[in-house]
Amino acid sequence: MENNLEGTGERKLQCDDVSKCFQLLESILDGNESADSQEVLKSKLAKCQPCFEHYHLEQAIKEVLRTKCTKHEVPSQLVENIRQKIEEIK
Amino acid sequence: MSEVQRKKYSDQEKNRIFDGEFMPHIDSMYNFGYRLTFDEDDAKDLVQDTYLKAYRFINSFEQGTNAKAWLFRILKNSFINDYRKKSKQPAKVDYQEVETYYNSDDVDYGITSDLRVDSLKDMLGDEISNALNSLAVDFRTVIILCDLEGFTYEEMAKILDIPIGTVRSRLHRARNLLKEKLRSYAQNMGYKTDEEE
Ligand SMILES: [Zn+2]
Repeated sequence: MENNLEGTGERKLQCDDVSKCFQLLESILDGNESADSQEVLKSKLAKCQPCFEHYHLEQAIKEVLRTKCTKHEVPSQLVENIRQKIEEIK
Repeated sequence: MSEVQRKKYSDQEKNRIFDGEFMPHIDSMYNFGYRLTFDEDDAKDLVQDTYLKAYRFINSFEQGTNAKAWLFRILKNSFINDYRKKSKQPAKVDYQEVETYYNSDDVDYGITSDLRVDSLKDMLGDEISNALNSLAVDFRTVIILCDLEGFTYEEMAKILDIPIGTVRSRLHRARNLLKEKLRSYAQNMGYKTDEEE
């Protein structure tokens, strides 16, 4: 029970320090915090509704950006052109 | 490129570094170029220039450091110094203006969005790409580097030549702008937003 507060509605509705929390959440999400920050993350998400919502929205945006953004294929001649130019300046 | 040429690689080493550490990133490099310029030829030119510079200045590349970040920095500098100057189009947002206007560290983290996770998942790649592409280049760039290419804040700071605090605040601001775009797409497309309830 203690470990599974997700969706139980027991989170507080006001965040104590939105700037500090959101900045930390984004930093964790972007992989810039150490591994032990996962514990901090867990407890924040369990206790605070604004943090919970912010984290999940940011996570979803990051995910759709990574998976859905149009990727452009490298034109076939480009690698060859680069190699030719390099040969010229060697 | 102002780094001192610290040591000389042999021709063999140069080729090995170029093929083994630089060329594997051509896909990311081309896509970065394309997302900056929205033009295939311009992107090709940028990438080609970048690789030529990378070869020419290969002695200032430290083996064991992040080659991809090093290449991205060269491309971004080429874009600012060469491409933007040549381009007849004025930059959408003046770089200096962005710096002074958005560099303040007290970014408002209190802005909440009524964009929903559900409606995001229904969106198409084109809609996501259009939203990203509609951002001013400096905001677009931090999202590309962080979310699409997975660079750390520290690497981004080096690529963009800005302090880490500025990386954080610019990224947060870029994300707020992106959310606004996505929210208005969601509304226009009839996806769910909280506003409609
Ligand atoms: Zn909170």
